[in-house]
Amino acid sequence: MDRELTHDEVTELLGAYALDAVEGDERDAVDRHLNECPRCRAEVGDHRTVASFLGSAGGRAPDGLWDRIAGSLEEAPPELRLAPVVPITQRRSVSLRVGAAAAAVAAGVIAGLGLEVTHLNHQVDHLAAPERPDTALLSAATQALADPRTQRVSMRSTDGRRSAEVALGSDGTGFLVAEDLPALPSDRTYQLWALANGQKISVGVLGASPHVVAFRYVPSGLSGFAVTDEQAGGVVSTQNAPVVLGNLQRT
Amino acid sequence: MAIDGLQEASDGALVLAIARYHQEALAEAYRRYGGAVFALARRLLVEQSLAEEVTQEVFLRLWQQPDRFDPERGSLRSYLLAQSHGRAVDMLRSETSRRRREEREARETAEGGYDIEREVLDLAIGDHVKEVLERLPSEERRAIELAYFGGLTYREVATRLDQPEGTVKSRIRSGLKRMRADLVDAGIGGVWTES
Repeated sequence: MDRELTHDEVTELLGAYALDAVEGDERDAVDRHLNECPRCRAEVGDHRTVASFLGSAGGRAPDGLWDRIAGSLEEAPPELRLAPVVPITQRRSVSLRVGAAAAAVAAGVIAGLGLEVTHLNHQVDHLAAPERPDTALLSAATQALADPRTQRVSMRSTDGRRSAEVALGSDGTGFLVAEDLPALPSDRTYQLWALANGQKISVGVLGASPHVVAFRYVPSGLSGFAVTDEQAGGVVSTQNAPVVLGNLQRT
Repeated sequence: MAIDGLQEASDGALVLAIARYHQEALAEAYRRYGGAVFALARRLLVEQSLAEEVTQEVFLRLWQQPDRFDPERGSLRSYLLAQSHGRAVDMLRSETSRRRREEREARETAEGGYDIEREVLDLAIGDHVKEVLERLPSEERRAIELAYFGGLTYREVATRLDQPEGTVKSRIRSGLKRMRADLVDAGIGGVWTES
């Protein structure tokens, strides 16, 4: 299609587009419009939901199909720009050189955390998300983790048994995804710290059982993040050793 | 996120776990929606092997590009079915399947054409959906049937029905909007937000 469609022309096509009943050039033109028009995106979502009820629930897929899908996952590993999550037992098989270097860096920063008492811009805001994160938060965190423009910090405990990940955008919007931090007693909380300019700055309180948490931190001199175990309500400075700790990944 | 309790996880939580390379989460998504994805592809393509190929592609794509699912645009079920439909239509329109399609259309014609109500099975809300379909004006219903289950473009539908393209385009859209309004009125408003 040689020209862009007007909003009205696109809206007339939305029903057919949602049913895959437009031709290639029209589909491309609608795709371009949808990138700019949330109202039309919402209408397409509604049409597709209606369409999804036209099909039957379908019962079971053929036996063996899942096995073929699972097998193809091994043949074609995902291309997402995410750090793969591997079982703890496999994490220890990471190359000795990388593992030793990471351990040395971690040990150094942990020592720094233990001794460092300077604190700036202390934030003891409560960041904790609901026990089951809402879908918008999950979606935003997923997209942030997949976005190559975000700064990434993979945090890990010194024994490799605990991990959490941070994705931080240049506008200061960040997400922490914690997969295996054990739930704390009700009188304790996890607290997130930014490591910047040789200091640790409280980013906020995460709650006793964080999974996905959004936060704001405008990066300046950022070198990494750490999570500590603190008394409920959080603290303005800490000398506790971090539960998990990680350095900024340079890409 | 703990992988325990995946069966109770919301669709959004499942997709996040998939983005974190948890194959168990993809298996749970398949357990929930694999049957519907396959059934829709088979409805369009007839041939089981092609429907299996579509199903495999749909879940492989979810694994490779989980961030393409936007929960604000609809449920994971509707997203996966849209993926299945789109891929099945691509296959239908390919040159290699043209003959198969013609054969299928001849058979459908002999059997009296598409019957959209036959497609609404098994769902807990099936009765409501049937009622909504029955209230749809026949010209809107026919245009939607040919487009959705026949894999035709609106231009092809217009030719088939000997109607102006603009009329068919409008009827598809107005029919879908009417169905949505009726479904919400029938108390199925919850279907528009993810569980």
